[in-house]
Amino acid sequence: MKWNKRGLLFQPQQYALPNGCADFAQSPQALVFEDFVRIYFSTRSRDAGGQYVSHIAFADVDKTVSRVLRTSTATVIPQGGLGAFDEHGIFPINVVRHDNLIHAFTCGWSRRISVPVETAIGMAVSHDDGLTFERVGPGPVMGPTPNEPFLVGDPFVLVRDGVWHMWYIFGINWVESPSDPGPARVYKIAYARSKDGVSWQRDAQAIVADALGPDECQALPTVIEVDGRWHMYFCYRQATDFRSNKARGYRLGYAYSSDLHCWTRDDARAGIDVSAEGWDADMLCYPHVFWSDGRAYLLYNGNAFGRDGFGVAVLEH
Amino acid sequence: MFTWRKLGHVFDPARIDRPDWMREFAQAPATLVFDTFVRVFFSCRPAADANGQYVSRAAYVDLKRDDLFEIVGLSAEPVMPLGGLGSFDEFGTYPTTVIRHGDEVRAYYGGWTRCSSVPFDVAIGYAVSHDQGVTFEKYGRGPVLGGSLHEPFVISGPKIRKFGTAYSLWYIAGTKWIPSKGRAEPVYRIRMATSPDGLTWTRYGQELIPVRLEADECQASPDVIFANGKYHMFFCYRYSLGYRGREKGYRIGYASSPDLVSWSRDDGKAGIDVSTEGWDSEMISYPHVFELDGKTYMFYLGNGVGRHGFGLAELDGVLA
Repeated sequence: MKWNKRGLLFQPQQYALPNGCADFAQSPQALVFEDFVRIYFSTRSRDAGGQYVSHIAFADVDKTVSRVLRTSTATVIPQGGLGAFDEHGIFPINVVRHDNLIHAFTCGWSRRISVPVETAIGMAVSHDDGLTFERVGPGPVMGPTPNEPFLVGDPFVLVRDGVWHMWYIFGINWVESPSDPGPARVYKIAYARSKDGVSWQRDAQAIVADALGPDECQALPTVIEVDGRWHMYFCYRQATDFRSNKARGYRLGYAYSSDLHCWTRDDARAGIDVSAEGWDADMLCYPHVFWSDGRAYLLYNGNAFGRDGFGVAVLEH
Repeated sequence: MFTWRKLGHVFDPARIDRPDWMREFAQAPATLVFDTFVRVFFSCRPAADANGQYVSRAAYVDLKRDDLFEIVGLSAEPVMPLGGLGSFDEFGTYPTTVIRHGDEVRAYYGGWTRCSSVPFDVAIGYAVSHDQGVTFEKYGRGPVLGGSLHEPFVISGPKIRKFGTAYSLWYIAGTKWIPSKGRAEPVYRIRMATSPDGLTWTRYGQELIPVRLEADECQASPDVIFANGKYHMFFCYRYSLGYRGREKGYRIGYASSPDLVSWSRDDGKAGIDVSTEGWDSEMISYPHVFELDGKTYMFYLGNGVGRHGFGLAELDGVLA
């Protein structure tokens, strides 16, 4: 695989986004329409206490993913209610078209006391071509289980021959670290399947081999079919001291599969890495791969987890 | 109407020589009957921390089988550890419900975590004992029953039963949080799930007991027993706010069912109420009904929802 970088595609600071959001356009994810591509992302406001809250917004771009046509002007999905699993933000959102409906799988965030956060996966549906989404219910479709004890999140869903496939992450440990401001989390990529998108079978197995050892954090899996083979991109980093230490921060990882179940990790063939300088020189994270008009595109965030937006790369034929 | 004869205040940690972690409270009694004694599991608390916050621990007291007012044993340590950093049960295990399975004793318990915008969340964990309930080993580090699409939070108060070949778990599920005087108060209702193996649960998906006091009535402790051809449920209920006194505090309600899922509520039949004075004069809650040697008993909590432990009542006649 070889990806040709086209640079920064969307900078949130250049647009007037709803909910008072200015910085961050994280985890861009595409929904392809006939004459444009809608790219959802998570941006942030600050609440009364000064803490961040993630909101979903979108930018519509042309089919060659070169030019921003417009951005969302209203709330895409409202905040979760008091005490809900997604009360303090949604990051990221994964959008799937199936049976003439647009489904969204969300990663909801709620704040905790001994650790900063807990996450779980919610479900929503759009009846207006993805302008707005309604929750299917106030609670999560996938939360913790005995062997996936916390931090279930980062869903990516593919419906194929009537089977809903989901790649996601679950937490395996919270670790105390002198180099970090609070407890640090360790999470791994897993797989679930479903007949209806609501009831999921899963088996608490990490499906991608570690490259950085047992405390490697793996996030945001995304899967695409190219030339009859399945390709997974994700991001990975060290568990601690990853925010400003470039050597320990996020990079893009890669694995391939012929059957969607067994994955062989081979980061050397990812075909993309940090730049020598600029907006994606320190880290690469939150990848999303999709097809538009016969070309495969990779959306991703760079430095500072996407504070200054996302970029795009095109797969070389 | 049933007639419950109150026999008195059975157990209060403050009246005995006890460890620091059992300083006060003995909440949500649940029984396991042995040849010569009845093991009563309950949840207790060490002193509150500097912020006034409590952690609940699971314990038991053994009562002499032919005189339930005589204490013959007490757990030396909590019967299960708290969960690790970031786990659903890091800040408490309350309540605990137990059932025998061969030589094992299986427990379901409410695991407590602390949240930022609301004080807590609860999910139900599972644990197994190979020493008759003295110690339990948790099954995994996460819950067997937590928040789901239509039961979003505060999944708590489990009561495990086995009727026929299937397990039934009655529990409560939160419906909303009400902001009140700088704190959020949960509203919760009685629900149930069934399982062939005790691990994989299918939720019934509906509230079982209609509200009576107000739209935001809170219901807890769904304690089910089969007798004389039908299922009897004793539970407790209260107002959603202002419930820390006599007027709006917990009372014990009653419902019956032919089939475990359709219930007719008839609190007038419960047959037990607050006393005019004493340890159970302000509220009564967390009923647990059990049969022992031809008699039917109820353990229940009094004032302060078990701050002073639990008492015992005996049924005159039968559950019919």
